[in-house]
Amino acid sequence: MSGRVIVVTSGKGGVGKTTASANIGVALASTGASVALVDMDIGLRNLDILMGLENRVVYNLVDVVEERCKLRQALVKDKKLGNLSLLPAAQTRDKSAVTAEQMKKLCDELKAMYDFVLVDSPAGIEQGFQNACAGAEEAIVITTPEMSAVRDADRIIGLLEARKDEIKEYRLVLNRYRPNMVANNDMMSVDDVLEILSVKLLGVVPEDEEIIISTNKGEPIAGTENVRAGLAYRNIARRIRGEDVAIMDLTPQSQTWLNKIVSFFSPPVRV
Amino acid sequence: MSKIAIISQPEKGVLLDVGGCSTLQEALEQLSSTLQSSNQFWKGSTVLLAMGKLDLTAAQAAQILAIAKGVGVFPEAVVAKLANTRAAFAQNNVKVLDKAPMSLPKIKVEIKGDIPFAETEPDDQDLDETKAKTNLDVSILELEHDTIEDAPLPEPKAEQAAHEQKIVLPQVLYLKQHLRSGQTVSHKGDLVIIGDVNPGAEIMAEGDITVWGSLRGIAHAGIGGNTTAEIRALNLQPLQIRIAHAIARAPDRPRFMFAQGTGPEIARMVEGKIRVQKNRVEPARV
Repeated sequence: MSGRVIVVTSGKGGVGKTTASANIGVALASTGASVALVDMDIGLRNLDILMGLENRVVYNLVDVVEERCKLRQALVKDKKLGNLSLLPAAQTRDKSAVTAEQMKKLCDELKAMYDFVLVDSPAGIEQGFQNACAGAEEAIVITTPEMSAVRDADRIIGLLEARKDEIKEYRLVLNRYRPNMVANNDMMSVDDVLEILSVKLLGVVPEDEEIIISTNKGEPIAGTENVRAGLAYRNIARRIRGEDVAIMDLTPQSQTWLNKIVSFFSPPVRV
Repeated sequence: MSKIAIISQPEKGVLLDVGGCSTLQEALEQLSSTLQSSNQFWKGSTVLLAMGKLDLTAAQAAQILAIAKGVGVFPEAVVAKLANTRAAFAQNNVKVLDKAPMSLPKIKVEIKGDIPFAETEPDDQDLDETKAKTNLDVSILELEHDTIEDAPLPEPKAEQAAHEQKIVLPQVLYLKQHLRSGQTVSHKGDLVIIGDVNPGAEIMAEGDITVWGSLRGIAHAGIGGNTTAEIRALNLQPLQIRIAHAIARAPDRPRFMFAQGTGPEIARMVEGKIRVQKNRVEPARV
């Protein structure tokens, strides 16, 4: 089999790359696909914590690349989903520990084993980012509706376009979206962001306190029912798999009956 | 390589490797904090410095040496991968090497299935259930699949033979330092850390490991097969404990309630499994 290698990247730090990687990984695996999550943030390893797998890590990506262990030994199986595995980053090394060629070889090996290989890129546009892109054919760009994050996403998209021979497709996930603030014109809307970036939209994830709780528990929110952010990630996974799923209605939730009547007659905020 | 790795072997000395630092400034900071934290220890030891791939001029090399000199340390030799840097240290009248005489121990682990939890041992003198409970989970999984093989050290045969003869490990590495995420310490002997070992840090020793503080990272005692090695800490909350060939992991919960300590505990091997026990001081017989 030949799986799809998708790099998750953003340029700016703190916009939710790792959270998105973990959740999209869980959501894809829940649809039945086999998924390998690869943490490329060497030296600042986090994905294992979000997945709640940090106490199971024995070997890491650098051990595999330097042939201290077999790939199979370094892959940590998820606690709940048998078809989801994590290849952790090394914590005691830095970004220069692997080369782009080594990453490409690793991704080729992984895509022979899994339907999806999700590579969590480090922040920045330097070697770590370049390595993360090395084996990828698709990219997911994460941004938040903030000027600085959008600016960095624009830079990243430019760099991805420069690699158009390898990266065939890139799509945007707009993270930490706050419909109430958008309604009050205090935050960029989905349309504003798309206007600047002119890129295909893969999904919009609303800001959710549950994300922090799930991070601390080590159980990605995509595995939890009845949480809007979790549903957003499950929808993203379905879109990655080629399903046509409408972007969910993100109009402000707290509405009085009067507002409801007013909004019934006014066109809905398209998000 | 971490920002700084400390590799210590009694017969060879201590190697301070700042090769993980990307700038001179970073290397200077890491070196000075490590040397100053336990300067009495460093004064008596044979110290080697490793620069990794740092590209330094003679003046910058002098800066590094000045920091060492400031705490009374005169490095035996400096290891550098770049010829430039080696020339820079040579100009400062220091012996230079292109290859480090020692490296972090390489460990091979074969794990099939899930890694087991550490067992908690009820106090045999005090079977009160509430007292025997620690925050480590009591689930037991079979360890039979777990085997660790030590990869050969630089001079495998001579060193292994020497190790077999010396059952009592001679030297103690005494470090007065907090170890943060990404930092590594390895020692061919007993290791004492006065300070905390945070999640993401790794400490390894052929003998015992004692942490006078909180152990929250990964600790591996008895590297090379010493199953009598012990790991003790004032607060034992490691992500993983490894003793000789065995490996055990922390329970999946609690994950971030770090402020709730465990009290002093000891981890040791009992019948091929890692057990954690409350520290118990034998009452003095009067």
